[in-house]
Amino acid sequence: MSEPVIGAISAVGTDPAANLMRMAQALEASMAGAAGGAQGTGMVAAPGFEALFKAGLDATNQRLVAADTGVQALATGEASLHDVMIQLEESRLSMQLVVQVRNRLLEAYQDLMRMQV
Amino acid sequence: MDFANSFQISRSAMAIEKLRMDVAAANLANLQTSAPDVASVYKPLAVLGRATPASFEQMFGTFNVRFKGGVDIEAVAATEVTPRRVQQPGHPHADATGFVTYPGIDHAGEMLGMMRALRSYEANVAALNMARTMAQRALDIGGQQ
Repeated sequence: MSEPVIGAISAVGTDPAANLMRMAQALEASMAGAAGGAQGTGMVAAPGFEALFKAGLDATNQRLVAADTGVQALATGEASLHDVMIQLEESRLSMQLVVQVRNRLLEAYQDLMRMQV
Repeated sequence: MDFANSFQISRSAMAIEKLRMDVAAANLANLQTSAPDVASVYKPLAVLGRATPASFEQMFGTFNVRFKGGVDIEAVAATEVTPRRVQQPGHPHADATGFVTYPGIDHAGEMLGMMRALRSYEANVAALNMARTMAQRALDIGGQQ
């Protein structure tokens, strides 16, 4: 993910999206490990949380890119003002949703890391 | 995101109110456009809207799927209004009897229409903002107070 817009996520490292993905992977791995230990190996491989999270992140990025091109279209006089404003609002909401998911993810990860074993 | 749907409803209304404003401005722009005869004179335009038809799911009563509402632009139609005929014998557009034809635009009516379009647009912006606020309140669920 090289778009500059996604860099607006409060950065943990140089590439926040990659950081989030790593975190999601680690969380999923630890959860799978815990479940596997408790229930044995009868688990069906479901589409992972990581894939779900990545899909959400991609959708948000698409919205941000769409808003970006919308602003460009407005500048060239092809789009109407309210359409672009609505696009911007949609992308803002989408971004806020990603931030909220990231907050929950971080909390869950930290809860797991703090767990006494 | 299901709130995109709420935005779409307001968006359609904003588009038609914008068109109403443009058409009223076009009518006012041609307030003094003279013509040599009744056939070629500017006809005031009017915007016709139509409620967006219900979706398949809505027809079968499952409103929780996704409410599709809003307004579609049907047409921008010319209205048949009796033109104004003014006695101006020296005018380049004067006919044999010295009458010049002006479009029968209702000046006060167009001003009122613009005001109404503006207020309606504002109402739809308010609706959109409230939908956005609702979405943001949903994002507040479980957050620190």
